[in-house]
Amino acid sequence: MNALLKLYSFYVRATTRWPALRSIVPFIPVIALWWIVAESGMFPRAFFPAPPDVARSFGSLVYKGILPEYLEDSVMRLAIGAAAGMALGIPLGVLVGLNSRAHKMLWPPLLFFQAIGDIAWLPILLIWFGFGIATMTFVIVYTVLFPVVLNTVLGVRSVPVNLHRAAQSLGASRLRILWEVVLPGALPNIVTGVRNGLGYGWRALIAAEMIVGTSGIGFLMFDARRAGSVVEILLGMVVLGLLWYVVDSWILVPIERKTVQRWGLVAR
Amino acid sequence: MRRFPNAQAALTFLAPLVVLLIIWEVVVRTFDVNPRVFPDLEAVAAAGYESLLNGSLFSHVGMSLWRVATGTIIALLLSVPLGVAMGVSPPVSSFFTPLVRFFSVLAGIAWIPIATLWFGYGFGAITFVIFNAVFFVVTYNTLLGVASIPLPLRHAAASLGAGRWAMLTQVLIPGALPNVVTGIRTGLGFAWRGLIAAEMIATDQGLGYMLFLARDFYRTEVIVMGMIVIGLLWLALDRLVLAPLERATVERWGMVRAA
Repeated sequence: MNALLKLYSFYVRATTRWPALRSIVPFIPVIALWWIVAESGMFPRAFFPAPPDVARSFGSLVYKGILPEYLEDSVMRLAIGAAAGMALGIPLGVLVGLNSRAHKMLWPPLLFFQAIGDIAWLPILLIWFGFGIATMTFVIVYTVLFPVVLNTVLGVRSVPVNLHRAAQSLGASRLRILWEVVLPGALPNIVTGVRNGLGYGWRALIAAEMIVGTSGIGFLMFDARRAGSVVEILLGMVVLGLLWYVVDSWILVPIERKTVQRWGLVAR
Repeated sequence: MRRFPNAQAALTFLAPLVVLLIIWEVVVRTFDVNPRVFPDLEAVAAAGYESLLNGSLFSHVGMSLWRVATGTIIALLLSVPLGVAMGVSPPVSSFFTPLVRFFSVLAGIAWIPIATLWFGYGFGAITFVIFNAVFFVVTYNTLLGVASIPLPLRHAAASLGAGRWAMLTQVLIPGALPNVVTGIRTGLGFAWRGLIAAEMIATDQGLGYMLFLARDFYRTEVIVMGMIVIGLLWLALDRLVLAPLERATVERWGMVRAA
């Protein structure tokens, strides 16, 4: 007990000095457990490989250049799709949020098309565009678009009317109200929307790569499944998880926190 | 009209959708679009009617819903207690947060390849994917919910003589409930997409399979019909079940949530 307590206090001291440890150390017991279960031979090795096997296959795939290339493909697709989704989604959201007629006309179809979901579009997209980059891009843009639009509308509508009036009575033009009142007011919601959209878009990308697949991490995993190589599937999952974890918690969450602190109308 | 405010709201909601249907029909007619590219309205209606008559639509929809229900219920039974247990003590919860986060980030579709290897093609693999999508997201949200209950509240309850059981049922669970419900909504959103994707890959029944099979024969009218069904089902699930649930819990139990 005493030794445990000492260990724990050491852990606490270490994590206060290097906060990054806090998100690394918890994985050690999990990996150890995985290793023990794999070594114990409870499951056949081909079905349940140990961590070193995965590390070795990481090494060989990086050496062959397959993994970096696939990773680049996936990330590029997501980046292009996300950029296009935001470029379309934010203006559309502002329009629907500000103009009540546009809201009446566009809100129901938006809800409906959001409900259809990206992946359900795959079959008809395959008929239209075939197995290729157009299909994939369409799916990602579609996925990112809706959370961004819906959250932007929410954000724009959450700006109190009195702020509009105050800006107007101080002589601000419509463009300036848009730029200095509406957009900053909606920004926290927009960022949340982008984050959700990327979360969904990234999953859609994996699914699309599995089904449409010519390259990318999703394709790597599904191809490995066809060949029965569990090692490469697990590798793909680890890479995906790490990648998204890093993007989400080192880029998106800090941006979200900053905007909410800076612009959030909700005082915490 | 005043007497039926609901009917009027429904009308204003439906009107744009009807306009959309008319545009669709007019465009297909005037440009004489190849039915292999996009079907006209009658073809879709006919496909829907036909699949209703021979019962295939019911069996596909029933199968999909059954899978979602099984996976979700198992996931909820496991994840809520687990989340509460991990959230109770601050050191334990801060230790587990990155772990659960990592897995909730990975939840759903990324498990399809390995699920099909472990369970074979069919019910097991798909239910596992759904279970997985709901399980980690709900665990994560429950954990956050319990951990975000202000310690003074727990101290206050304890100093008023609340035992462990009273603390659990009257402070921890109600406090975490809004987060749990948000987690369920997000998790089901991932699960629904995972379901469609998994059914395209790994089965011979269900909505996703119906769409993907129709693609092989260029039957766009079946695809579009299936997409409409998928949209309507999700809309019904989200608007009629999840959103009211979320609103009710946030209103009743939500502590400091604004907007």
